[in-house]
Amino acid sequence: MGLSLAMLPHQGNFNKQDLAEGGIEVAFEPKDSQNAINYAESRIYTDAELKNYTEEELKNYKVKHAIPDLEELEKGPWPSFVSDAKQGALHRKKLADDRMLIDRDVIEDMLGQLQVSFDEGETHWKHGGIVGVFGYGGGVIGRYSDLPEKYPSIAHFHTVRVAQPSSKFYDSNFLRTMCDMWEYRGSGLMNLHGSTGDMVLLGTTTEQLEPIFFELTHKMQVDIGGSGSNLRTPECCIGKARCEWSCYDTQALCYELTQYYQDELHRPAFPYKFKFKFDGCPIGCVASIARSDMSFIGTWRDDIRIDQEAVKAYIAGEVVPAGGGHTGRDWGKFDIKKEVLDLCPTKCMWMENGELKIDNAECNRCMHCICVMPKALRPGLDTGVTILCGAKAPILEGAQMATLIVPFMKAEPPYDNIKEFIEKVWEWWMEEGKNRERLGELMQRSTLPTFLEVLELPAMPQYVKEPRSNPYILWKEEDVPGGWDRDIKEYRARHKR
Amino acid sequence: MEELQKVIVEFAETSKKTKFYFKDIEKAVQKVLPDAKMRDIKKACTALINDGTLIYFSTGSSTMYGLKGRGMTEDPE
Repeated sequence: MGLSLAMLPHQGNFNKQDLAEGGIEVAFEPKDSQNAINYAESRIYTDAELKNYTEEELKNYKVKHAIPDLEELEKGPWPSFVSDAKQGALHRKKLADDRMLIDRDVIEDMLGQLQVSFDEGETHWKHGGIVGVFGYGGGVIGRYSDLPEKYPSIAHFHTVRVAQPSSKFYDSNFLRTMCDMWEYRGSGLMNLHGSTGDMVLLGTTTEQLEPIFFELTHKMQVDIGGSGSNLRTPECCIGKARCEWSCYDTQALCYELTQYYQDELHRPAFPYKFKFKFDGCPIGCVASIARSDMSFIGTWRDDIRIDQEAVKAYIAGEVVPAGGGHTGRDWGKFDIKKEVLDLCPTKCMWMENGELKIDNAECNRCMHCICVMPKALRPGLDTGVTILCGAKAPILEGAQMATLIVPFMKAEPPYDNIKEFIEKVWEWWMEEGKNRERLGELMQRSTLPTFLEVLELPAMPQYVKEPRSNPYILWKEEDVPGGWDRDIKEYRARHKR
Repeated sequence: MEELQKVIVEFAETSKKTKFYFKDIEKAVQKVLPDAKMRDIKKACTALINDGTLIYFSTGSSTMYGLKGRGMTEDPE
């Protein structure tokens, strides 16, 4: 269903015209109008119910199962999920019976079972199943305890993924409403956020899934996310909302592709999971290069903009380098040679007659110089995206970074060029990919030249990582002027297969 | 569409396995109907899901299809 991801805070009925009248410029318009969510009206619990225990009670609170190893985890310097879970457990213990729809002891049983797993060195969760909401193939992940007699409250402990708004712009009305709903219909435990970027609601029963889906979609106007062999919930960096370096509108592209590929998000037909992520610039705040099958990284194809006066101001010590990022210690006077020129990976920068020069053709967009002198240097103005494919980060068999495929492509609405590229990739992967084979694995198995042929892209020398190590290019006769004569039978007579 | 759905259901009823990857269904359909397009097969599967004939089975990381009533098609209690 084509529900809008909440691109804007849930504070009113937003549309482009209303916002423009309020003096706010937006680059896109949500596909559906956004309803106001007012926590005062949508709340389930009273303040007294939400703060229904004292610090003293929490300090003296003992979970009904012995959890010595988990309590050990609370002693470190970091915030502990065990402490959070205990708060949740005590809170549930003190709520009235009719104020929650799943078992009161769900958190305590979860902790108890985790302690058993620590003792025995193996998990007691069973994963997967047929749970889900009607018509959707993803978004709900079945989880069951294999010790249901000992821990009956967590016999069912399903996970629901909730699609995050682009760049995770929430407002407190939305978050509070979500928390109340989840305490009422689920365990109250959640991850903000999971690796894919979704808000992850942990632990509910099968009967609660459809009501939760209704609350999310009809009342909170948020969709459930991707799981299984689906397009997973796309994720983007903060983009132009707050970052001057963003080379394209990451939120708009993320939103557009989320809406456009609803079927791929909810009705699985891929060989395995598939992830898009959108970074506005090569800094890569969502690490799309390492975490997504198709990574979109903002870039520019003209020259880095230089303000020579600001460069001089940095050299003279009038402007703090790195936007004040290293002010915790005295690093001495700013040295442009040591801190910028010598650290340029392609050595494409130098000083000449007091001016900073850049050989832009050699720049590989590491952005170090821009980060150190943000007032003096800025990305160019002819901007777009670099597209990389094939990253994965599985627990088994090792992580793989993405391979650059398209060095530059414009990224402007309606993004038809990007959609055309995506669909070529999907068509090939769906045709050739084996069950449970990620795009990066298929690219490796069938070679980069094959992938480029499918995409109808010419090979470039830059694809060669190390000559003679992975040259990638296997010449075909039609690629070589004049071709060649070869008698394969004569060759095989001398070289056995 | 109806023909595709019929072939999919026949495959789901007669296969030794009770859960199938989409690719298994695609291959089985194309054996009977060689010109069947992947997108159309997906649409037929979606229609069968919507009318309750097929069900999704998800491990969390990958998704399979099954025939309702065959194999494990209810929540384990």
